[in-house]
Amino acid sequence: MDDQQELLEQIRAVDFVLVDLGLFLDTHPADQNALRDFKTLADTHERLTKQYESKYGPLKMMHGATDNCWLWINDPWPWDKKKGGMANVGL
Amino acid sequence: MWVYDKKTQYPINIKRSDPRMAKLILTQYGGPNGELAASLRYLSQRYAMPNKESKAILTDVGTEELAHFEMVGTIVSQLVKDVPPEELEKWGYGPVYAIHGKGVFPSDSNGVPFTAAYIESMSDPITNLNEDLAAEQKARSTYEFLINMCDDPDVIDPLRFLRAREIVHYQRFGEALRIVQELLGSRKFWPNDKVHRTQNIISPDMMRSGNMKPEMNMKPEMNMKPEMKPEKKPDMYMMPEVMSMPKPTNPTQMNNMK
Repeated sequence: MDDQQELLEQIRAVDFVLVDLGLFLDTHPADQNALRDFKTLADTHERLTKQYESKYGPLKMMHGATDNCWLWINDPWPWDKKKGGMANVGL
Repeated sequence: MWVYDKKTQYPINIKRSDPRMAKLILTQYGGPNGELAASLRYLSQRYAMPNKESKAILTDVGTEELAHFEMVGTIVSQLVKDVPPEELEKWGYGPVYAIHGKGVFPSDSNGVPFTAAYIESMSDPITNLNEDLAAEQKARSTYEFLINMCDDPDVIDPLRFLRAREIVHYQRFGEALRIVQELLGSRKFWPNDKVHRTQNIISPDMMRSGNMKPEMNMKPEMNMKPEMKPEKKPDMYMMPEVMSMPKPTNPTQMNNMK
């Protein structure tokens, strides 16, 4: 795995825990441990996303513009398959 | 409102084409137990939810199902990419190819197009949440059937992830159902006739229809002789004053309900 894929995997992992923890908090809104973990991971998520996007392009449309370029549309899109099977890990 | 993240929820890196598996997995795209049905079901049912927990869980699970919809579409499209038509036909994908080419169309594995008839969205939150629990189990079973027919770890891996999510969603919906049931059973909450049904009390709506009479009430105390009735009547026997009630013939029963 190159640096880009590794970084994306980290974001995905943090993202997943946030989604899962979010569902848990929906039905356990007063769970203090879950709240604490969620806040910590949300910060980590923001930091990793910034790091990734500065190097490899936007993950969210609202981060898709530079002064003179619309980066959001750049390939690959998540479903794109690359030769050799490294499909959509680029993004 | 929704915002798109330019990544799949779980990595999908399929190296080997497999039109046979593509056709089978298609059912989780637009079939009866598929991700599209799941998402539309939960997102539509939100408006009937009486408390913040159930509104939140339907919103967030419905949103995650859209991510799963994208994952299944990605799997199907990668499984047929670069496969020549004669190979597609040989491995059973011919009927799909004849109609849609390699387009990913929301249908089941037999090509039956997606229909909203797969889902229900009612005004009763208890009914909705029970349907949602069943839907998660049906989807889990379907992923197990698909895994049983699959021999490619690149495909099995995301299918296992999706299967595991059905179990988590089932758990959360179960908790939401418990919370809603407690709420509807509590004396603080008088939304409409749902609360009466939860407590097996004939609701004003049901009585207005003329098919149900107050004396048919299923609460055993309601059918007791006056001297057997408990002194203090619980609040749950009260009917909301705004609702127009048919005048009961027996004045004792009227008192019970006030």
